[in-house]
Amino acid sequence: MRPSRLLALVTAVTSLGVGMPRVVMAEGKTLRRALAEKRALENKVEILDRKVRELEQRVEQSLGTTGEVRNAVVPGPRTEQVEALDQKVRVLERRWELDQEQAAAKAKEAPTFTAGKDGFSLKAADDSFRLRIGGYVQADGRFFADDKERATTDTFLLRRVRPILEGTVGKYFDFRIMTDFGGGTAVVQDAYLDAHPWSWARLRVGKYKPPVGLERLQSGAELLFVERGLPTNLVPNRDVGVQIHGELAGGAATYAFGAFNGVADGASGDLDNSDSKEFAGRLFAHPFKHTSIEVLQGLGIGLAGTYGDQRGSTSATALPTFRSQGQAAFFSYRSDGTAAGTTIANGSHSRFAPQGYYYYGPFGLLGEYVKSYQHVQRGTTAATLENDAWQIAASYVLTGENASYRSVSPAQPFDLAKGTWGAFEVAARYGELDVDKVAFPIFADPTKAARIAESWGLGLNWYLNRNVKFQLNYEQTDFTGGGPKGERPKERAILSRFQVAF
Amino acid sequence: MIVQVLIRAAALLAVVLSLSTSAWAQKSVTLLNVSYDPTRELYQEFNTAFAKYWQGKTSEVVTINQSHGGSGKQARAVIDGLDADVVTLALAYDIDEIYQKAKRIPADWQKRLPQNSAPYTSTIVLLVRKGNPKGIKDWDDLGKPGVSVITPNPKTSGGARWNYLAAWGYALRQPGGGEAKAKDFVASIYKNVPVLDSGARGSTTTFVERGIGDVFISWENEALLAVKELGKDKFEIIIPSVSILAEPPVTVIDKVVDKRGTRAVAQAYLEYLYTEEGQKIAAKNYYRPRLAAVAAQYAEQFPKVNLFTIDEVFGGWEKAQKTHFADGGTFDQIYQPGQ
Repeated sequence: MRPSRLLALVTAVTSLGVGMPRVVMAEGKTLRRALAEKRALENKVEILDRKVRELEQRVEQSLGTTGEVRNAVVPGPRTEQVEALDQKVRVLERRWELDQEQAAAKAKEAPTFTAGKDGFSLKAADDSFRLRIGGYVQADGRFFADDKERATTDTFLLRRVRPILEGTVGKYFDFRIMTDFGGGTAVVQDAYLDAHPWSWARLRVGKYKPPVGLERLQSGAELLFVERGLPTNLVPNRDVGVQIHGELAGGAATYAFGAFNGVADGASGDLDNSDSKEFAGRLFAHPFKHTSIEVLQGLGIGLAGTYGDQRGSTSATALPTFRSQGQAAFFSYRSDGTAAGTTIANGSHSRFAPQGYYYYGPFGLLGEYVKSYQHVQRGTTAATLENDAWQIAASYVLTGENASYRSVSPAQPFDLAKGTWGAFEVAARYGELDVDKVAFPIFADPTKAARIAESWGLGLNWYLNRNVKFQLNYEQTDFTGGGPKGERPKERAILSRFQVAF
Repeated sequence: MIVQVLIRAAALLAVVLSLSTSAWAQKSVTLLNVSYDPTRELYQEFNTAFAKYWQGKTSEVVTINQSHGGSGKQARAVIDGLDADVVTLALAYDIDEIYQKAKRIPADWQKRLPQNSAPYTSTIVLLVRKGNPKGIKDWDDLGKPGVSVITPNPKTSGGARWNYLAAWGYALRQPGGGEAKAKDFVASIYKNVPVLDSGARGSTTTFVERGIGDVFISWENEALLAVKELGKDKFEIIIPSVSILAEPPVTVIDKVVDKRGTRAVAQAYLEYLYTEEGQKIAAKNYYRPRLAAVAAQYAEQFPKVNLFTIDEVFGGWEKAQKTHFADGGTFDQIYQPGQ
């Protein structure tokens, strides 16, 4: 009840309560009306009293106070009672108001916790501190058809088990720590700090993917196929170093330049074995991103490269092993543990990697080429080998969602109750990896190491929702050389993956 | 003819260049003044006057942004990193904390401006409803049963701490007065407090706008403002027999002004409070001016009050804060929500 109405009520009650005898003495008709009005006012006071008690209970529950508010003894004539009740209502309303203000102020300062498709996160009110707990698990099946010579083994495996801890401290500093327990081992894959005072200039220090391979730079949880293509054999996996990177032209272009310890093709490393370092750089652009040419907005083209010096030893050659889509090793350099019989990296190592992709609606296309130059030596013989690889992969989302470098997000997630099935995507690719002929037979054994791998694959991806994916691939790879009687047997791999990522 | 045209063109060009040069030369700067709760009207008027003065003197356009809240809360915000160029708070202890906890100002900050960096003073009075229905005459009446008292929370409000100390100081001066009796007396007042706002302006809202309480222990300037804004037919001011001299201090925050390059304008801003213009603005907003000439001009506005200082009765702010308002201090002992 508003104070002004209460004031009127007080006045009415006072005049009626005090003036009643005079009314009785004055006029009979007016007395009946006066009595009725008095009864109505008394009823109103009782209702008001009840409301105050209810309000007292609400405030006590909110403030956690007991007994203080509930002081219902209000002695005195009706006028004082009404005034006291009026004050009580005002006090309670004001306390409620202040309580709400304090709660709102606290809510503004309070951190927020969210749990959803992007994992679990805790964020400070001003966004200067943020922690996200995520990760992904991949349970694979790897089967080989027509494997009469048992060159490969059918197996189920945990391909990746990667908990991820990432966040922001002090507004300008991001961090990421990702370990991998797949295959029964424990490896720190990523551990870095990224300072980002501006979007166009960021500094990253730690262990992470050097800016080189297009498919390598994709997250392991966002791959189009179960395994990356052949060119990924020639680019670094993870390395330790420092790089500056950033976005330009409103995100239409990105750059990254860094200095790293240097690793063999396809390999990861935690420590350097020589003083020399490897420099890596990449420029990637979406030239039509901010134009109105919608059909070309999804075009991305780039160029990456590395330059450094790689030196190995008999026990640690610093040279790569190349693997097929079925993850079978089809090429490695000679290594028998002796200086005369082991090929080692012994000099400059550089890479050249043009790359690009195109996405338009449900259609996607990705291609890259990598050439790797490595100076090698075995005994007193040395040479610079040029190995190269390329691939082209196309995809189409059958359910109409947009294809993307960052995976597909189903418009209607899998839900049996609603009869929705998520998103389906088909993919096809072709790739080749050529080892320099000069490698044979001095640096690599032609009866054990294939010179060429030519691979084609078909894939079906079922995205149940943003977090769960099922993949089924058929990958066939033909080899030139690499077998004791000439050719290494064809590999026909059926690969499956069940993935949960958050 | 051609020469005349060329001369006129050159003159016009010179005028245009000089005008555009002066336009390019006009700089602008902003200041943040973090102040206590009831000074909104004072600094609204003062900021306009200072901006005009500064632009006239330097051609620089200065914009002063204001932040208001309980003095303790405001000090904590500055300690936690709020980049105030100047603070104009309710009591010296709150500014001392900015030195103690954050070292954003030097230890001797109070000596940098005249009169212990307090350009104006105030005191604590009692505001009652018109007609003084509860017959409030002095501090004694606030502790009586049935009297509802409005005062803010001393944990957050500087004004509330002045209120508390004024009541305590009154009790000490009564016959037979001592610390124990003063504690009981102040406890009896807080027993009558139904709502504790976080700042003085919040308490003004509670008393004046929400119509709660019989008596409001108020900054003198707030009481005079309430009477002026809402009319003498709504409220009366009761001058207690004794009250405390409140000296709200001001200072530049050195770490901020040096980082932002605003030291000169921030210093000038505070010094302007001591000028005749600044003192008149303070007086017009019911703050007692320091300048004798202005004080004489506005003497009728400010009633004579028997005042004591915090140094005389409590030995200074540091001691008073530690004894009464620190966690576990006297205030925590006499006031616990729910009792």
